[in-house]
Amino acid sequence: MSEISNYFCLMEWNFTLKDISRVAEEFWEHAGDKKVFAFHGDIGAGKTTFISELCRAKGIKDTASSPTFSLINDYVFTDETGIEQHLFHLDLYRIHDEEEAIHAGIEDALYSGAICMVEWAEKIPNLLPEETIHVTIVPGKEGRKLVSSSVK
Amino acid sequence: MNINILAIESSCDETSAAVIRDGEVLSNFIANQKVHEQYGGVVPELASRAHQQNIIPVVEAALKKSGVSKEELKAIAFTQSPGLIGSLLVGCCFAKSLALGLDLPLIAVHHMQAHVLANFIGDPKPSFPFLCLTVSGGHTQIVLVEDYLKMKVMGQTLDDAAGEAFDKTAKILGLPYPGGPLIDKYAKEGNPQRFSFPEPQIPGLNFSFSGLKTAILYFVQEQTKKDPDFIQNNRADICASVQHRIITILMNKLVKAAKETGIKEVCIAGGVSANSGLRQAMKAYSEKYGWNHYIPEFQYCTDNAGMISITAYYKYLAGEFADLTVSPSARSSMDRN
Repeated sequence: MSEISNYFCLMEWNFTLKDISRVAEEFWEHAGDKKVFAFHGDIGAGKTTFISELCRAKGIKDTASSPTFSLINDYVFTDETGIEQHLFHLDLYRIHDEEEAIHAGIEDALYSGAICMVEWAEKIPNLLPEETIHVTIVPGKEGRKLVSSSVK
Repeated sequence: MNINILAIESSCDETSAAVIRDGEVLSNFIANQKVHEQYGGVVPELASRAHQQNIIPVVEAALKKSGVSKEELKAIAFTQSPGLIGSLLVGCCFAKSLALGLDLPLIAVHHMQAHVLANFIGDPKPSFPFLCLTVSGGHTQIVLVEDYLKMKVMGQTLDDAAGEAFDKTAKILGLPYPGGPLIDKYAKEGNPQRFSFPEPQIPGLNFSFSGLKTAILYFVQEQTKKDPDFIQNNRADICASVQHRIITILMNKLVKAAKETGIKEVCIAGGVSANSGLRQAMKAYSEKYGWNHYIPEFQYCTDNAGMISITAYYKYLAGEFADLTVSPSARSSMDRN
């Protein structure tokens, strides 16, 4: 594990479905006060599955289903100080360009101060906040490799 | 005195308006190029906040076609949840303003409840209690319907919706979005038994389509390594096999729900009910299990205000009105309704 986790540089996990919940817990420990996470990986890489696990780790009880059609799923969880916080799960799969993303209210979510998990973020490079954490999921022979970095 | 209601739907991509009189839908318009040519404006590819540009033309069109004047309306209805918040807000604010201006009561409608009640537009109508399999790009649910406004979600997808499984498979096969209708088209010429894809083992009545998507991806990648033209040479069989699997996943859960509840009145709803394979399966399963099955007319399957209007009609009869403090919600359960 990296010593400079404050910067969230080059964290790397290898995991299977069995230990996905442990990795989700560790992910949040290292996330600190970071808010926006851009997830990269092909169809079927496991982006939605891992994000669902991250939601569960935050105590979100609603089913964290895919927002491909709905674009933005809005979840609520209670943070460690007992305050209700929003978590947005965004999916830009259907979005064509940045202007369309703005019209859909993507920017509003990204700059709301709430935690945002963004799938297909490569479609909106100029809309992402500077401090966005990029998370790449790569399928391996067994399980997945997850790499997170403050640069794409 | 007729009960005339104007209904507005703006939960996701489509801006739609409908007028209903005493439970009969008189008009149901979805913003498209034709409406815009007649009433002005442009059609953005993805409606969302651009609902603002669509809403007045579609409302005008729906009122005009119905022959009902604003003065003859008894209530204004709108989709309150679930959906994209920016999109829902447009319909909600418009409906509130109109209700305030015309001094009419306001009716807030749950979009998923409306999909189910689309089965009450036209005849024959299902009788209570019945089961409804709602399948669309964003939703997959089995709903137990005890009365017009009394519903319980028995099972739903834990990840991707059935419509998304169709669309993402199309993407893997290099077909354009939305690929669901194309899969259906190629499937008609293919052999559904040619390739076998796994059925997820999900307990109860919930669904999962994410694993199927990954299985299809790996299968196609593996085969393409051996034969670069694999997709091209086997497109119809791949589509038929995938469609067959998606449909059996849906139908097996529906059979389970029917057995558990002992109910033989079965409906489908949502955009995927346009899929010809699903329609055939409903017919075949109904014969096998002695079900009476119902499918709404296609224009009431995809997102539309007609289904909002029929739901509003039953809410009007039940006296369920919203006040002007009502606000839209991106997510909410319909069990509470």
